[in-house]
Amino acid sequence: MASVSEMYDVTWEEMRDKLRKWREDNHRNSEQIVDVGEELINEHASKLGDDIWIIYEQVMIAALDCSRDDLAWTCLQELKRQFPGSQRVKRLAGMRLEALEKYEDANKQYDSILQDDPTNTAARKRKISILKAQGKSAEAIRELNEYLEQFVGDQEAWHELSELYINEHDYGKAAFCLEELMMTNPHNHLYCEQYAEVKYTQGGLENLELSRKYFAQALKLNNRNMRALFGLYMSASHIAASPKVNATVKKANVKYATWATNQINRAYQLAGRGTKENKCSVKAVEEMLESITMS
Amino acid sequence: MAEPELLLDSNIRLWVVLPIVFITFLVGVIRHYVSILLQSDKKLTLEQVSDSQVLIRSRILRENGKYIPKQSFLMRKFYFNNQEDGFFKNTKRKVVPPSPMTDPSMLTDMMKGNVTNVLPMILIGGWINWTFSGFVTTKVPFPLTLRFKPMLQQGIELLSLDASWVSSASWYFLNVFGLRSMYSLILGQDNGADQSRIMQEQMSGAAMAMPADTNKAFKAEWEALELTDHQWALENIEEELMSRELDLDGMFSKELPMGIF
Repeated sequence: MASVSEMYDVTWEEMRDKLRKWREDNHRNSEQIVDVGEELINEHASKLGDDIWIIYEQVMIAALDCSRDDLAWTCLQELKRQFPGSQRVKRLAGMRLEALEKYEDANKQYDSILQDDPTNTAARKRKISILKAQGKSAEAIRELNEYLEQFVGDQEAWHELSELYINEHDYGKAAFCLEELMMTNPHNHLYCEQYAEVKYTQGGLENLELSRKYFAQALKLNNRNMRALFGLYMSASHIAASPKVNATVKKANVKYATWATNQINRAYQLAGRGTKENKCSVKAVEEMLESITMS
Repeated sequence: MAEPELLLDSNIRLWVVLPIVFITFLVGVIRHYVSILLQSDKKLTLEQVSDSQVLIRSRILRENGKYIPKQSFLMRKFYFNNQEDGFFKNTKRKVVPPSPMTDPSMLTDMMKGNVTNVLPMILIGGWINWTFSGFVTTKVPFPLTLRFKPMLQQGIELLSLDASWVSSASWYFLNVFGLRSMYSLILGQDNGADQSRIMQEQMSGAAMAMPADTNKAFKAEWEALELTDHQWALENIEEELMSRELDLDGMFSKELPMGIF
């Protein structure tokens, strides 16, 4: 099997920089990380200097994702040797136990970290993810709520909680979590879009109006968000189709829906610019829109 | 009044001015590393971390509350500011003002600060004064009054000498403060060799209480939050959005990333 450097003809520095980029952007492309990282560790360990420790951590987590326990064990041993008694390494050891489904041992590991340092957020979050992995979502939600009471600023946790609530179909509380995220990241169009989707799912006239507004906000923040565009169309048409609205509201919403239709058509025209397959999909979209449109 | 231009021996430049610069710089670098070695870990309690995050959340609510629906904003404001059981109204933290006597860790911190910063400055200043005494080192480029003479011309007993000509001790002190920007260039921003920053901290530290005065912070947040109103940013969002066509430029580019690199 050819090595990564041979296949792509890159030097070890480029590989190391690529790993750093993935680390900073928080990518979870574990297979690629394992490929690139394994070669770096085996062939070029001496040239990396102090960078190697963080690469060990990154590769270990990726190896756990790909069930490469051999590689994970090697990385863990190296890190343990270099940083004995470090809580960060203890957490990695706990993650390995989690990957092997030895949840009791993993819990003990995290508890020992928390005994030393009660403010350690990483260990607490790992315990919650153990509960999630075991399928105990009610308990996971409860623990996560307690965690968030103390660490109100942890955005990752808010997002996780919103996901858990959506799985439990508790859309009101999921919306609350997403509101927290929208406040801390007002320019992130994805949170607006997710919030709008939750509101749309909740249903009811007021929620549909809110969802339409937030789909519009997501579009304003990022003009190319197709999902938000479709969402805007759907919510506007649903409001227009509802029997409870008065004529002005209905007219306004029909106007919004038409505008959205035009934009969707424009986007599909742009995509592929008149290739044969594209013509079919444009036609399909137009038919779909016509079928949902109210007069 | 025409001042007689003094011509200084160029040996002074070689053997006095430059060595003092080097000495000051090296002492600064050593101070930086010593301060790193002597650094004590600041352990924060769970409550402190939690409180600081709550304050941040309340501030975010005030600033970005306009992006969430009115109902949600009011719900959160109510949670914080409610008369009976609002968070800011009810939570009282036990605040122990850490005076230097009672808090041992603060005491050792102060001592370490003094040892690493003030003591070397005094010692080396004195040594330089003793070694390089009896002659004029350099001239400051602006005229000074006679009152500066005893301060800046230590060891030179000349009544008629212009106050702008200074001794080596004053050149040393000039260096201590002047090399600050060099330190930030070489040692990075937060370096331990930064004299004036440390003195500033000491002065401002006396003025403000320890950050653990959370009760006052809570009260301030409560007042600020009471005053905040909800101006929904999404009021006319549809009109704003639909006033023009969507910008779909570059949405479908022909190149797809292949592989890792």
